[in-house]
Amino acid sequence: MAALRQYSPIVNDIHRTFLTSLSAIQFRHLRSSTGHRQTERNERELNDSDSFRVYEIEGLRKSKEEKKTRRVAPKPFAPRYRSMPVDQDWTNVWPSAATFKWATVPFPVRQGYIKSSAENEGVIPAKYGNLELMKGPNFLHLTPAHIKKHCAALKKFCTPWPEGLETDGKCRHHFPVESITSDYVFAAPSIRDERARFVTIKFYLSDLELDYHARDKFIRLVGTRYNKDTDEVTFESGRCPLKAQNLDFLKFVLTALYFESWKYESWEKLKELSDMERYFWDLNASRKKCTSLLRTIKSLDDSSESNSDKLNYLPPDVSDDEALCSLPEVNKYKVAIEEIFNEGENIDTINQYKNAVKTLLNINSDVV
Amino acid sequence: MALFSNMIALSQMSQKILPYSTLRVALRGLSTSACVCKNKRTGVPKATQFKTRPLTYEEAQAPHYMYQRKGWLSWNTTNLYEEKRIAETTFEDLIIRKFIFGTWHGALTSEVIIKRRHNLIVLSYLVTMEKTLLRQIYFLKGYTEELLSTWLKCPVKVELQAIGSKAEVIFKKI
Repeated sequence: MAALRQYSPIVNDIHRTFLTSLSAIQFRHLRSSTGHRQTERNERELNDSDSFRVYEIEGLRKSKEEKKTRRVAPKPFAPRYRSMPVDQDWTNVWPSAATFKWATVPFPVRQGYIKSSAENEGVIPAKYGNLELMKGPNFLHLTPAHIKKHCAALKKFCTPWPEGLETDGKCRHHFPVESITSDYVFAAPSIRDERARFVTIKFYLSDLELDYHARDKFIRLVGTRYNKDTDEVTFESGRCPLKAQNLDFLKFVLTALYFESWKYESWEKLKELSDMERYFWDLNASRKKCTSLLRTIKSLDDSSESNSDKLNYLPPDVSDDEALCSLPEVNKYKVAIEEIFNEGENIDTINQYKNAVKTLLNINSDVV
Repeated sequence: MALFSNMIALSQMSQKILPYSTLRVALRGLSTSACVCKNKRTGVPKATQFKTRPLTYEEAQAPHYMYQRKGWLSWNTTNLYEEKRIAETTFEDLIIRKFIFGTWHGALTSEVIIKRRHNLIVLSYLVTMEKTLLRQIYFLKGYTEELLSTWLKCPVKVELQAIGSKAEVIFKKI
């Protein structure tokens, strides 16, 4: 009992707190049942004067409506072309490639198709909100004024054309090997393209230092890559993954082919007359016959006493074959025979052969 | 006639060996009637009774008038001769259109034009100012550019144009 009396003030405090919280619950209940605004007003009246509360039937008296604040749609800005000066710098207005902007382009333009007066009130759609004008690429960033600015900006990177390379012939002389590569431009996040690895090099076979054997071997080794009509050799490679690797590979191929064609393999010396790809007068029986004929004529000329119809071009000593064959008359005959065999019979080669024989044998009568 | 007699032979044979349903499947494989071609109106909107349905210029032109009365909505190099990435670009365009339709919901008043120059993607479309605040448009523009750039791994630029209301771009009513 003593313990309880000792704690009684505390108990009282707890009790009071509990009571006030109870009333608070009741008050909240009232507020939720009768409506917030009404309860507040009644409370105020109750505090102002100690009269009774008046029960207000909801909906009987018209309460003041709260004004709904409606958002006023912002007025669009005046289009830019209205405030543009006539002598403005267009490159500052439209500096780079951009979609068509109706408010910036100062000239009137329409695009679209109308079938009848029911469509767009019978007029072609104007530039305002016109999707068709926005679709296509435009050239408003590539006017002459723009190009002038571009050129002025690029000028400091330009160098004069090198001296001594004025003509194509000079270029070919100084840079005999021509390499052809391609770069591909397309719309994608990556700039890599596997087609860009292909490299082609071209050169004229006459620009290489080759003798007859080396040239013949070179042509046999490159096969269809040699164009007989233009004397051009074309190598192409795409076997390596990168362009530079392919270019290096082709340079290696060219070097290897050049030195390989100069080599004489042991089996190449086994080549016989029937293996020859063309007619060689020096290797054929025609040479022997010609020299023996000339020797016979020389012996006859020496034995005859008259001076007419002699072969005056022959030297006194005709025993040496090489000396005989190097005579211009004999050489002319050689060339004529080789051409008739190698190029085939036509009016030119036959005429050439006729003249060569007439010179060789000193025939002065008109043979038709 | 030969086919018909074969079928009779088949049916006679099948009565002994095969069930009837097997025969029907075999007969169903042969169709000689001409195609009706009724269902070829894709992309052509249906007209209403009192001509109340508003259409923009893009919607009013049927797909077969492409390049005659209206241009393309996707501009890229993939469909040129011997070019690659057709499928990837088409799929990316689909994703971009879906994303913009959802992001600019209620404000988008036109189709999305997707122009690709090198690795840059330029998106242009019309946006109505009826329900959207200016600052919302600025936010959504940056949001679209940032997210699409991250996903597609290339710079994306939005060049939109604001119009007062959708009624301003109505071309006709059907």
